Amino acid sequence: MALLGGAVVLSACAGFDENVRSYGVLQAPVELERTAFYPQERYQCGPAALATVLDASGADVELEALTGQVYLPGRQGSLQVELLAAARAHERVPYVIDGTLSAVVAELDAGRPVLVLQNLGVDWFPQWHYAVIVGVDPLTDRIILRSGTERRRVTPTRTFLHTWRRGGFWAMVVLPPGEIPALPDKVRYFESVAAVEATGHLESAYAAWQAGVDRWPGDATALFGQASAAYELGHYAEAEAVYRQLLSTQPDLHPARNNLAYVLLAQGRKAEALAEIRWILARIADGDRNREIYEDSYRDIAGQ
Amino acid sequence: MTLSHLTRVVARTVAVAIVAVGFAPYAGAAVISPQELIQDEVRAERVAGLVALLARSDVAQQLENYGVSADQVMERVDNMTDAEILALNNAIDQHVAGGDVLAIIGAVFLVLLILELVGVTNIFSSF
Repeated sequence: MALLGGAVVLSACAGFDENVRSYGVLQAPVELERTAFYPQERYQCGPAALATVLDASGADVELEALTGQVYLPGRQGSLQVELLAAARAHERVPYVIDGTLSAVVAELDAGRPVLVLQNLGVDWFPQWHYAVIVGVDPLTDRIILRSGTERRRVTPTRTFLHTWRRGGFWAMVVLPPGEIPALPDKVRYFESVAAVEATGHLESAYAAWQAGVDRWPGDATALFGQASAAYELGHYAEAEAVYRQLLSTQPDLHPARNNLAYVLLAQGRKAEALAEIRWILARIADGDRNREIYEDSYRDIAGQ
Repeated sequence: MTLSHLTRVVARTVAVAIVAVGFAPYAGAAVISPQELIQDEVRAERVAGLVALLARSDVAQQLENYGVSADQVMERVDNMTDAEILALNNAIDQHVAGGDVLAIIGAVFLVLLILELVGVTNIFSSF
């Protein structure tokens, strides 16, 4: 049992949106029976639930180390952001899915258990709890969870939805780099990958961007991400090729050209790098809020 | 708009503003990260949403009743930071669902007013 949903705004109405309670296309029960079980110790449902989904994603999990990463002794619980951060530390891409049962079902169908935040108390006396959905049975209207000290907790769907709603319908999956969510929101996926890259997990980010390029061919953000990670990994030739590919269709994507300049600089081609920045500065108005950035880049590259 | 209604909007707005302090635009000279690129795209999307909202005839009419043109509001929006636009969007989202024009306009004005009053604009301005 543990705490903290942050400032979740809760609604008081009793019914559930069709979108939330629908099983989607699910006709038969689905259950990921082989999902590992980490019985929680007192208050430590955060580490236990995270260990469960990390293990399912193929990561090496040590519950004790995980507890140190996500458990806040003073508050007897874990924060969602820490679960996300700890997943990144395990070279995984944490992705917050839509707060609907059909999104959960889609992930289960793809073989991924879903970590959820529940409030087992009431709004004015919350008892926050993290658990992992491993199965859904539309025939008996039941949700199957790894929860607390129970290896296989079976809860009526309606009861679960009430506790989940009080947890803000928060749910996440842990993606091995290269896997795409079952029902991906493109921008949210890219944000998740960008966070992995920003926290220094470059190999994982690189694989995840490539999966994005495969899923959404020609998408500017995905290509930009791939080039960015390639550069960070020192794969300059590839970074250059991808930035140039991107600029061939979107010549005005100034951030890409700015970064191309740095890729050229890294390869000892300073004159070419400065030419790219000059190209930008020739096309950007004096009042543009981003002009200063490229002026800084010019000075920066010229000074190196 | 009732007083308690106003209070709720204010509280929410301030909470959002505080949370959003962590975000900054491009952090000076160097390579631009995908995270920064996405923030830029998200900003463009939000601004487009606001433009669409202000283009609604009932909204524009109500603004006019207050003696403000949609252009004037957009001018303000253009000069807002990402965090401020997010605050504005969140405040509007709370009301657009119900479709109550007065509430939407109220939210717009309130956010602009609060940002002005508490000097958030100056705190956030990094350009």
